[in-house]
Amino acid sequence: MTADLSEFHGELRAAASGLLAGTPGWRAIADAGWPGLEAPAAFDGADGTFAEVAVVLQEIGRAAAPGPYPSVAALAIGTLGLLSPGPGRDELLRATVAGGTVPVVALDAEGTEAFRLTGGARPDGARLHGAAAFVLDASAADRVLVPAADPDGTAVVADVDPADLTVEDRPVVDATRSLGRVAADGVAVRPESLHRFRVPDALERIRDRAAVAIACDCLGIAEAMLDATVAYTSDRRQFGRPVGSFQAVKHACADMLVRVTVTRELVAAAVRAQADGGPDAAAACSMAKSYACAAAVEVAGKAMQLHGGMGYTWESGVHVYLKRAALNRSLFGTPARHRARLAVRYARR
Amino acid sequence: MTAALLDDFRAGVRDWCREHVPGDWRRAQTGVPDEEFAAFQKGWFQELRRAGYAVPHWPAEWGGGMSVPEQAVLHEELAAHDAPRLVLAFVSIHHAASTLLAAGTDAQRRRHLPAILDGEIWCQGFSEPDAGSDLAALRTSARRKGDAYIVNGQKCWASGAAHADWCLLLARTDPDAPKRRGISYFLMDMRTPGVDVRPTRQATGESHFCEIFLDDVAVPAANRIGPEHEGWRVAQETLGAERGMTMLELAERLGGGFRRLVGLCGETGALDDPVTRDRLAALETELTGLRALCAKLVAGERPGPADASIVKLFYSELLQRVTDFGTEIAGLSAHTDLRKPLSSGWESGAWPLDFVASWEWTIPGGTSEIQRTIIGERGLGLPREPGEGR
Ligand SMILES: Cc1cc2nc3c(=O)[nH]c(=O)nc-3n(C[C@H](O)[C@H](O)[C@H](O)COP(=O)(O)OP(=O)(O)OC[C@H]3O[C@@H](n4cnc5c(N)ncnc54)[C@H](O)[C@@H]3O)c2cc1C
Repeated sequence: MTADLSEFHGELRAAASGLLAGTPGWRAIADAGWPGLEAPAAFDGADGTFAEVAVVLQEIGRAAAPGPYPSVAALAIGTLGLLSPGPGRDELLRATVAGGTVPVVALDAEGTEAFRLTGGARPDGARLHGAAAFVLDASAADRVLVPAADPDGTAVVADVDPADLTVEDRPVVDATRSLGRVAADGVAVRPESLHRFRVPDALERIRDRAAVAIACDCLGIAEAMLDATVAYTSDRRQFGRPVGSFQAVKHACADMLVRVTVTRELVAAAVRAQADGGPDAAAACSMAKSYACAAAVEVAGKAMQLHGGMGYTWESGVHVYLKRAALNRSLFGTPARHRARLAVRYARR
Repeated sequence: MTAALLDDFRAGVRDWCREHVPGDWRRAQTGVPDEEFAAFQKGWFQELRRAGYAVPHWPAEWGGGMSVPEQAVLHEELAAHDAPRLVLAFVSIHHAASTLLAAGTDAQRRRHLPAILDGEIWCQGFSEPDAGSDLAALRTSARRKGDAYIVNGQKCWASGAAHADWCLLLARTDPDAPKRRGISYFLMDMRTPGVDVRPTRQATGESHFCEIFLDDVAVPAANRIGPEHEGWRVAQETLGAERGMTMLELAERLGGGFRRLVGLCGETGALDDPVTRDRLAALETELTGLRALCAKLVAGERPGPADASIVKLFYSELLQRVTDFGTEIAGLSAHTDLRKPLSSGWESGAWPLDFVASWEWTIPGGTSEIQRTIIGERGLGLPREPGEGR
């Protein structure tokens, strides 16, 4: 990273954490230019890369902030970027960058359900069938991008009005996140709303972007929990001294820092690989996702432990991070799934 | 007791469980209001009491009298039949009873032990805002005035206090004595004027623990348990005595949780994965070790000075590993279980909430950090941490 860029990232980070402190609505987020950080200038974007998006995602994790930015930035912008250009796509990208539209990709975060298209060749257009059990921010969508297999098995994307779908909220233990089930029961898709990908492995790339985005969130969670724990244990006194001065607590904090430091490296590598699109992007993604998600659960859990009874209260807010970390771990591939994907490479060597 | 007699006993418990364990209590107890939970708990307690299963660990003269092997079998069967736990009576039948038995007068025992059997609920008022791990730093004061002590101060984290009729209370009777010497131990009627209970919302969203504000509360001197200023010793005895027997039950319940975990892995297809099988096998091995340790501890085979701490530490962290793994395996749909069945333990099967709730064991009753220090110092004879004595 050049010196310029790291300075810019520092400024972006500070601005992001400032804005997030006030729980901004979508308008404020759009005005800050976050949806368009990665988009080309021709679409009124900031002409940046996923690295800038990652800075914001990390701050969102650090604040355990609600809102659809992660899914829009990782999934929708990523999907739009991989679609063949055309009037429909271009209009949607521009509207997303401007903040006038919140598109959500109906990709099942667990990867078990999917959509398919039938009757594409008929004059009355194609029909969309299927479901996605867990779609991040489904209820926030005013446009739904539905990845589907067309009759000959090619991956395409249908741009659908949420009113034509069944979108069912699925409240989860993590109150900072919103998930919904999205189902299509023979929805008619006009030809101009059907988009094709520029590359063959687009869906896998989109999933990877989502996984890396979650890893960034986990890094933010872990950092926030480590900071809070160091502050609390430096202040809280038992046996006539700050509890942080006890070796057991100090060692636990040291272990947390070690994990956060390693997480930071793995996430940075995955973000770089996403930005550059190199051949190791998938491996870097799986390493970051599996490590960061496990680390965030562990660090948030240790934070709860080291805050004592206070940490177990609702008011302390530690549980908010623990629940978000636990949910993150299950989104877009569990650590075990990502490790299994890494292990496939061993056999091929 | 011979093996044959124990088998007969097991068959009896089994039959009883088949007939009496309510069928769909999990569904019925999910998300019910607090009063309904309390009513269900009290009813279930009486059901167990009629069978002689409510307080098997008490002495026979007070309504218990089961041998340790029988108790082990009882808890095994109750867990195997997924019977509701006695969550609400936990402090009454363990903490309060063992305190009364170890340090109470005859009059105190006659007053309270039968009442507990009739459904009296107790809570434990030890911790304070500035006295958690460092319990001896407590500041709630009790000043003798005629036949009573006038108590002022604040307690926190008292589990179940909102439902409690009585409270095990530690308060300072001599402000000038060294930390541990000036503390006395009281049995406090929660309906005494000046007692104000305020529930605290906890990480799972429920409010089982409470703050207790004490404003000029008059506790009759007859309700002091143990000698004046020697409450610390009584408290130590209670905590030590209580830990072993509860573990016998908790280890069996965790066994039930493990069976649920295996079931889950079967349903989700995770069992086909060699890594999952490996992790399950590792957890089962740990669980087997825990049960063996508990059995040894409660059999009273001259426990070592750190054994209770070892069991508590190992149980609580194993509980955390099991619920953590369950959360990971259960995937996103488990996150849509927003409430867990009350009257279940910490392995209800609502995995993310069970995982959050697993800190109910690594924090209270001496945190894991404190347990490790105890194990290092008492078990291994390592030099003590510098600073004030614990
Ligand atoms: C769910 C729940 C239920 C509870 N129920 C009851 C109840 O019914 N009655 C009751 O009286 N209390 C109850 N408690 C209180 C519980 O016993 C205390 O929370 C516990 O003893 C820790 O004290 P603390 O919260 O003040 O944490 P602190 O003592 O402030 O600890 C903060 C951190 O510092 C560490 N630490 C502190 N001192 C040392 C040391 N010397 N060496 C190493 N590490 C140290 C701790 O391990 C912890 O990680 C409950 C607590 C919880 C969470």
